[in-house]
Amino acid sequence: MMNIALIGNPNTGKTSLFNNLTGSYEYVGNWSGVTVEKKVGIFKNGKDQLIDLPGVYTLNPLSKDEGVVTNFFLNEPFEKLLNILDASQLRRNLHLTLQLLEYGAPVIIGLNMLDVAKNRGIQIDIAKLSESLGVNVAPVVARSGKGCDELAELVTAGAVGTGKNNLVYYGKAIEAGILELENKLAGKIKHPVRWLALQLFEGNPYVKNYLETILPIEEIEKLINSVTVDQQQNADSKQALDQVIHRKRSEAIDKIVSAATTKQENKKVPLTEKVDMVVTNKFLGIPIFLVLMYVMFMLTFDWLGFPLSDALDSFLSGPLTSGITAALAAAGASTFIKDLILDGIVAGVGGVLVFVPQIFILFFFISLLEDSGYMARVALVMDRLMESVGLNGKAFIPMMIGFGCNVPGIMAARTIETPKERLMTILLTPLMSCSARLPVYALFVGAFFVEQKAAVVLSLYVLGVVIALILAKVFSKTLLKGETSVFVIELPPYRLPQARALWRSTWDKGKGFVKKAGTFIFAGSVLIWLLAYAGPEGVNVSMDDSYLALLGGIFAPLFAPIGFGTWQASASLFTGFLAKEAIISTMNIIYFVPDEASLQGLLAAHYTPLAAYSFMAFILLYIPCLATVATIYKETGSRRWTAFSIAYALVIAYVLSLVIYQGGRLLGLT
Amino acid sequence: MIANILIGGAIFGYAGWAFYRFIKKSKEGKCAACSIQSSCSSNCSVSQEKKIK
Amino acid sequence: MLGKLKTGEKGRIMNIASADKFVRRRLLDLGIAEGSEVCVKCILPFGGPVMVESCGQCIGIRRKEALRIEVERV
Repeated sequence: MMNIALIGNPNTGKTSLFNNLTGSYEYVGNWSGVTVEKKVGIFKNGKDQLIDLPGVYTLNPLSKDEGVVTNFFLNEPFEKLLNILDASQLRRNLHLTLQLLEYGAPVIIGLNMLDVAKNRGIQIDIAKLSESLGVNVAPVVARSGKGCDELAELVTAGAVGTGKNNLVYYGKAIEAGILELENKLAGKIKHPVRWLALQLFEGNPYVKNYLETILPIEEIEKLINSVTVDQQQNADSKQALDQVIHRKRSEAIDKIVSAATTKQENKKVPLTEKVDMVVTNKFLGIPIFLVLMYVMFMLTFDWLGFPLSDALDSFLSGPLTSGITAALAAAGASTFIKDLILDGIVAGVGGVLVFVPQIFILFFFISLLEDSGYMARVALVMDRLMESVGLNGKAFIPMMIGFGCNVPGIMAARTIETPKERLMTILLTPLMSCSARLPVYALFVGAFFVEQKAAVVLSLYVLGVVIALILAKVFSKTLLKGETSVFVIELPPYRLPQARALWRSTWDKGKGFVKKAGTFIFAGSVLIWLLAYAGPEGVNVSMDDSYLALLGGIFAPLFAPIGFGTWQASASLFTGFLAKEAIISTMNIIYFVPDEASLQGLLAAHYTPLAAYSFMAFILLYIPCLATVATIYKETGSRRWTAFSIAYALVIAYVLSLVIYQGGRLLGLT
Repeated sequence: MIANILIGGAIFGYAGWAFYRFIKKSKEGKCAACSIQSSCSSNCSVSQEKKIK
Repeated sequence: MLGKLKTGEKGRIMNIASADKFVRRRLLDLGIAEGSEVCVKCILPFGGPVMVESCGQCIGIRRKEALRIEVERV
């Protein structure tokens, strides 16, 4: 078995290639750095492993996401590298390739987007390119999978050459510095010293850190200083080492590229630019974004999602329930088992499953936005607004992903380069209303706001965003001062989303929801039902005397000022910490109804519309779910910030619900 | 009677297992499912990354 | 200055040294350095970012950074 690492610039079709080589279900996106996790797939030969690394321009990292790659090269065993290149941006892509060749591992190159290059009038002589780099180059079309089988064979077949590792001569001073480091490190490490030295001179903090574990820190500093001084004396210029190295590489690349490509002028305006003239237009950019969001919500909640959910609901409460009843009767089940299954499991799990269509529609749109390349434009369009609250446009992307699920949203914050903005984005992403909160809204708007379903739900989403923006402003003025925010974003060309990739991406995101319904929600429903079934006075007690009522009753008075001081509400809020959709299951079980429609009828007796809105706002903000809290802890590495993210959310939720409920009452609303 | 015990046992057994798995997974975050977890630097060694900078 | 160009105008980058260190690095990563030819594709309102095209790729940077990049019109 071999470990093969897939590496390349962002937006070169790396993730599509990964999918085509491994045939695994993988998340495909199009904005800078969608691969925030390290993923491993098995080649179609069933043996070798392909490791998907985040997209990087160079091995010298700027963001944490890119640091993953440097760490991989320093700490992990792998046999080969598969480097994917964008043929239309060969010069920039080759900077990374040169560094890979300096590392000295066997490299195979997959040359993607030859069609795009051709449209721009660039012809590439693959044999020449392969010859001048000293490695195999294979043309592929990552999106359609053409050429991938050949590439897979090339990669997984036995030994491969390491290419030329001395393509660039960096000048006397730097080459001498490399030799000196070689002498110092002789026999002490397994990594290629030439690569380490060049990364060190370029200012790669990870490599420096690594070298400090082997050599005394003063010696390293001394080496860097002496090379810098020598270089500046030799060249008689004030250029820093990293600039010199970059320039030398560029010169070498120019030679390679001009030998291997021919270019003709092509005056055709690409379609991407025509589209961009509209969607990033001075006046139309923001309105277009808002309209798209509105259409997305209307489809999810009103036009398409609601009818589908209703149909599913009537199936669950009709044929399915009567079928189970009949089957249980035939098996001779006792009333206990019958109640457990119908009032516990069917009510709890069914109550969540009903919302699968709506959640899939939402995930479909998020996938569509990612896959088409529009996400990066959203970041551009929103940058001015985000800048005014101390963030940058890129922070909007984790938030958008957070609408689907907060966990990947928080992980996506890794592509944000400055630590301060990254932390803020992590803290604020849980305020984005994730799909698990959607069932709660759907239930309540169905009961109380039938006429304005989509508008009311949209208002909650907007509420989350507005609170996040206000808090960003507050945090950047108080807790997280200093550090200027910067923003540079690559806008990849638009791509027509492919049905297969879209479906994969949607399914990949949505399946977690379905899986959770079958595992955790199932277990939770059984537990909640038991707690509601038993009480201090025995089993099969009246619900108001159950353990659940007792438990909920303790905290109920706390929630009275914000409109829902019932034990049922506080009991469901508890389960909501584990997973937001558990709130629905709990309510279904507590109110002892088999389906959504009758629950809505019952709710009307327990809540006023105002209290219902206050409850929804509270659910939106009150606490990140358990998985999100764990992710925040993993990503920040700080107990303090994790605790802070929980505490501030509780405070904000309570205050806001208080304002909504009491303010609404003062205004005469009910 | 036997059917009752069988169904009840299956439900409670599965529920207990699912609950245990969920809590364990949630606490570990996404790393639990990763095959190169042992040497993965993207998720599990945040403390190491914090030293740099 | 790059930030002074109007939509559709082209320029060649003369000096990038006064731009933010991070922005400079990122632009370098994207293959944009002294000597690159750039074309302003659009400018977002309220002092928002500018979208610049170079060698067939588009990038977005903030106006205030664009104002620190010297260009000559071509």
